[in-house]
Amino acid sequence: MHDLTQEALANELGVTRQTILAIEKGKYDPSLDLAFKIARYFGVTIEDVFSP
Amino acid sequence: MKRTTFYILAGIVGLLEVGAFWLSVELHGPLLIILAFIAGITLLYLARRKIHDLKEDERAVLINEKAAVRTFQVFWVVFFAISLGDVVLGLGAPGFPRQPRPPNEGLVPLGHIGIVQLLLLFLMIILYVGFRFYYARQYGEWETDEE
Repeated sequence: MHDLTQEALANELGVTRQTILAIEKGKYDPSLDLAFKIARYFGVTIEDVFSP
Repeated sequence: MKRTTFYILAGIVGLLEVGAFWLSVELHGPLLIILAFIAGITLLYLARRKIHDLKEDERAVLINEKAAVRTFQVFWVVFFAISLGDVVLGLGAPGFPRQPRPPNEGLVPLGHIGIVQLLLLFLMIILYVGFRFYYARQYGEWETDEE
């Protein structure tokens, strides 16, 4: 999992790399649908990935 | 189709539109430029759907939506203000209501209206591009990795 690139994750989730980067930087809050996809991809809950 | 191919096509269509406009003026036939413009935009719309290396995700849609709404909000105020100014000009003009124009001057005011409309459309495009940049920046379009 450590060698996962933003590009690969973006392709997997059907978004652009810039969107992954914007989420990481806190510039963009993903939709519920995308948040669920991210959580499902990593096999964790949404609360584990996103915190208020 | 690649994105660069689309941009080249857009450039060619733009040049053809300029040519059609010139020809339309020469022939005094407004229908030519009207049809050419609609055909050009339709062609570009269809071509855009064929681009395979253009990914539009939810963030891009959000940026476009926000920019469009803000553009509309500013535009209607400007449009309303200019329209009110025109009405005041019309109401305050000497000899209102106007006397009928001589038949040979019939098309001149229509042409003036077209120029004002084009200027307003240009303003709309400028506003949209400006807001598009603003929201793209706000939602991290040009963020870079630190590592």
